Amino acid sequence: MGVEFEPRIVGFLCNWCSYAGADMAGTSRISYPPNLRVIRVPCSGRVDPILIVKSFQMGADGVLVAGCHPGDCHYAEGNYYARRRFAMLRPFLEYLGIEGDRFRVEWVSASEGRKFSEVVSSFTNQLTELGPRATGAAV
Amino acid sequence: MVNEVLSPYREAVDAVIEAGGEALRQCYQCGLCTGTCPWNYLKKFSSRSLIHQAQLGTADFESEETWTCVTCRACVARCPREVAIIDIMKALRSIIAEMGAGYMPESLRVTLKNIAGAGNPLGEPAENRHQWAGDRKYPEQSELLYVPCCVSAYDPVARRIAQATAAVLDQVGVPFGVANEPERCCGESVRKAGNESLFAALAQHNIETFSRQGAGRLLTSSPHCYHTFLNEYPDLGGRFDVLHYTQYLAGLLREGKLKFGKELNIKVTYHDPCYLGRHNGVYDDPRELLRGIPGIELVEMDDYGPDSICCGGGGGRIWQENVKGERLSDLRLDQALATGADVLAVACPYCLLNFEDGVLTTSASIQVKDITELVREAL
Amino acid sequence: MARIGVFICHCGTNIAGTVDIPTVVEAAQNMPMVVYAVDSKYNCSEPGQAAIRDAILENRLNRVVVAACSPWMHEKTFRKAVASAGLNPYLAEMANIREHNSWVHNDKQAATDKAIEIIKMAVAKVSRHEELFPKALPITKRALVVGGGIAGIQTALDIANAGHPVVLAEREPSIGGRMSQLDKTFPTLDCSSCILTPKMVDVMQHPNIKLMTYTELEQVEGFVGNFKVTLRQKARKVDHAKCTACGLCWQKCPEKVDSEFDLNLGKRTAIYIPFPQAVPPRPVIDTANCRYQKYLDFTAEGREGKAPPKCGICEKICPVGAIDWEETDELITEEFGAIVAATGYKPFEPGGYTELGKGKFADVITGLELERMMSPAGPFNGEVKRPSNGEHPKEVVFITCVGSRDKQRGRTYCSKVCCMYIAKHAIMLKSHDPEVNCYVFNMDVRTVSKDYEEFYEQAQLSGATYIRGKVSKIRQEGDQLIVRGEDTLLGEIIEVPADMVVLAVGMEHSEGAAELAQKLHISYDVNGFFVEAHPKLRPVETRSDGIFLAGACLGPRDIPETVSQGSGAAAKVCGLLSQDFLTTDPLVSVIDKVKCAGCLLCQDICPFSAIDSETLRDGRTVSVVNESICKGCGLCVAACRFGAANLHGFTQEQLLAEVLALWE
Repeated sequence: MGVEFEPRIVGFLCNWCSYAGADMAGTSRISYPPNLRVIRVPCSGRVDPILIVKSFQMGADGVLVAGCHPGDCHYAEGNYYARRRFAMLRPFLEYLGIEGDRFRVEWVSASEGRKFSEVVSSFTNQLTELGPRATGAAV
Repeated sequence: MVNEVLSPYREAVDAVIEAGGEALRQCYQCGLCTGTCPWNYLKKFSSRSLIHQAQLGTADFESEETWTCVTCRACVARCPREVAIIDIMKALRSIIAEMGAGYMPESLRVTLKNIAGAGNPLGEPAENRHQWAGDRKYPEQSELLYVPCCVSAYDPVARRIAQATAAVLDQVGVPFGVANEPERCCGESVRKAGNESLFAALAQHNIETFSRQGAGRLLTSSPHCYHTFLNEYPDLGGRFDVLHYTQYLAGLLREGKLKFGKELNIKVTYHDPCYLGRHNGVYDDPRELLRGIPGIELVEMDDYGPDSICCGGGGGRIWQENVKGERLSDLRLDQALATGADVLAVACPYCLLNFEDGVLTTSASIQVKDITELVREAL
Repeated sequence: MARIGVFICHCGTNIAGTVDIPTVVEAAQNMPMVVYAVDSKYNCSEPGQAAIRDAILENRLNRVVVAACSPWMHEKTFRKAVASAGLNPYLAEMANIREHNSWVHNDKQAATDKAIEIIKMAVAKVSRHEELFPKALPITKRALVVGGGIAGIQTALDIANAGHPVVLAEREPSIGGRMSQLDKTFPTLDCSSCILTPKMVDVMQHPNIKLMTYTELEQVEGFVGNFKVTLRQKARKVDHAKCTACGLCWQKCPEKVDSEFDLNLGKRTAIYIPFPQAVPPRPVIDTANCRYQKYLDFTAEGREGKAPPKCGICEKICPVGAIDWEETDELITEEFGAIVAATGYKPFEPGGYTELGKGKFADVITGLELERMMSPAGPFNGEVKRPSNGEHPKEVVFITCVGSRDKQRGRTYCSKVCCMYIAKHAIMLKSHDPEVNCYVFNMDVRTVSKDYEEFYEQAQLSGATYIRGKVSKIRQEGDQLIVRGEDTLLGEIIEVPADMVVLAVGMEHSEGAAELAQKLHISYDVNGFFVEAHPKLRPVETRSDGIFLAGACLGPRDIPETVSQGSGAAAKVCGLLSQDFLTTDPLVSVIDKVKCAGCLLCQDICPFSAIDSETLRDGRTVSVVNESICKGCGLCVAACRFGAANLHGFTQEQLLAEVLALWE
């Protein structure tokens, strides 16, 4: 391999906390790797598992969902639903042949620009180490 | 004199801060611990000051005060910021015990050496451990194991606790055994004296001994053994169903298996042992047992239940001498005498020793008895 | 067919410094459905916006992507710009190539590639945008205030004075709340009744206020501007329309019971007004204690044995025949546009502090009990007496932070008013009797409002001795109490003999706060206090639109702060009620009736109870979104197994299009 592997990551960020947290990383000029593509959603609880599976099916190397910290949800309890839903999704992804490490759920508040950049950096590094997706996965 | 904030024992202080955790930093110096601490009825002991020193990093490891705390938990139970005061005391002591720095009372040093060598604080040979039982034969394997505590196994005064307990169990017809290979000290006061490595060795030995014999349930006479088996052995892999004998006998009483034949016709007041009451929340079973004995009138002292005052034997203090006028047991005896009771009932070998001593030195006109003795008398 | 225009912003050098703009413009021109792509120095500037407007008109664009900063920054700006060209404002989409790209990457090639992909995603999304229209809903121009303490009184008066009708509901027989139990108020030492009673009377006489005492909130339906509230008017057994408040009944009633208002220090009758200045001044019958009611219950149940005496004196003596034994609880349903919860607090119950001996020693009292003692209209006619022997106390010890700042009691918070009310008590006791000595065991003296520090100084000057330390034990010696604790500044244990000990008990959430919060769909914290929408910027609003908060139901606070919050909540209510229509955000959920299987899972999941069910003509039950309640979180979309729910602005198709765009 001559060229270093650059993972492609799809990120679903809740509008109120994590999207604003990513904005905060920007305003604070905290740099991180350019591998993430952000899709804005109102709430992490809006993220239908089909969107995650579809991302993997298309070829994403990793999927990130980030929302408000538990207890801080703009809609009171959306992130609790998200948390439970994704806890159930993870084994299903593994069943499909997608390593659990390729799917990450993080809580990032609007003031946590630094945390956002750390999440993207560490996830990118982790996926780089994992290497390209194995062929033969169901999606 | 300027108090240096950087102590010569900087690393030691860090260890204390680590043991005290977040809560140490949260202490807001209200002094409730000092005011609650029973020592202050006898001499000055400001636990608040010790904690403040720990916060600042100026702990004095040469001070006798490091060894004063009886770990009775009265302060911890009230501390508005939930500071783990006992853990802080333990950490201070463990620095001395493990690192060898600072002052440790001589009598405690000897006791720890005895425990390390002979397996019991009195330095008695291990093979004599079951002498209290006389000729009684015990089964090889036993689901219910009676563990009497070093004090009630060896001490000539406290031995009557073990003897009475065995007699009661026999009379009710409960099959039980004792450790085939003599158990060693449970390690409770060893740990409170800061010697973690010795504690681990003792616990390891006891867990193996009890397990080999197929013990499922441990029956203790001492609340200190009870506390340690129940709360500290599980972390080291020793998972047993642990009962203090007052809990067990109260259970038999409720089931109708424990029946009394005699009326005692005495007035009794009950002293809550710290490690049964405040440490483990057992307040009702001993009282239920006492009330179940025909002819006992149970009266309470001024401070009882969660407010009970320590006999002075916890935290390794049982192995240290207190000068006259500085004995918590005497303070407590006064409260017992004020009730007009004939008998001060206890449920802990340490309490028994301390109060027997107190009665002897102050000629107080009250009898000290373990609850198990009263049960035996009334059968 | 979508005709999309893409407007790429340089943002000075903020974007252009890292992103190669010409490359991006060229890439955008080649994206599907894009008919126009151009760059601008500053899209958000006046000329930048004009350029967008002109381009829409010249190129007949029907969708717009602005690739610039975060939508948090300028989404509204560009929606307006699009609307100015006659396009529906919801047909614009922003591509964030600044905060999420140029500001966080240094590699120009990578940032340029990423910018192109971000725009590609936005283009894919915007092509699926639909025209959306905000709705206008009528508003019921009427407010409900729950709780008739000083917070509720202030709120109701301010709303009423602004010209809006108000219903003030109070569960006790009189309004006035805790403030009516106080003797004096800090830091001015105003007599509490003297400043409160006129306001209570104003409430009673105000043409815009309908006062409903002895009334509890039963049920709340609806949403902002259109609440339907059921109130329970508890049976008073007295017809208030007939009653003239002559007072004969409560003077003659033979049944004496402990007075709640006087904290059991005094007595009241079974037919009673809680205190002389009660508003309304009309009585209720406490049926649990009324002799005649007991007789009625006895005969109705047909029990054996001796019947209780058949009293009924009030009925015989009432000159207008107002006693009505038949009266029962009545449910009243009314409509409101806004609701304010102002349900206050209750004092901490200190019995758990066994070392302080409340309940064991008669002379250990609470701060509020001392208020009742000092009140000239109170059970002791304003004389402070030791409950044990009726003598005037000379040595008085105060203990702070009882039920405050104490994790052991599950009360971690500072109750904010205790330091000041102790200072007040110390000053007042000294003025009642110059021979009194006051000792205040405290940890920190907190004096954080205007004139409070000076008031504390006044207490010290009056002779109060402040001792820093928490009390560990109170014991009886002779007829005195010995108060023991560590003086932490001396580092010594000290004991103070006292004739009376006053516990400065903290503030707790009021009785039934959690149940009320559930009825109102508002949140409450671990301590049972209601939670504001934002602790700094929206202090009297809740996250449920149209529901507001004021006073100590939010947490401990003093009278000045409570009154300001009452006025603040009233201003918010007036702001709402002065509009003729409510405009709703169209980014809400919608449920496809054809696809909906009627499992109603979305109803359970919706945090705002915004989903109703409806039975169709073919007999099927389906879910329906109430657009005026829906907040657009999209939980129902992710939960719907049939793909029936969708969210405007973030539809399933749009989000999938964004994913797919990355691999096109």
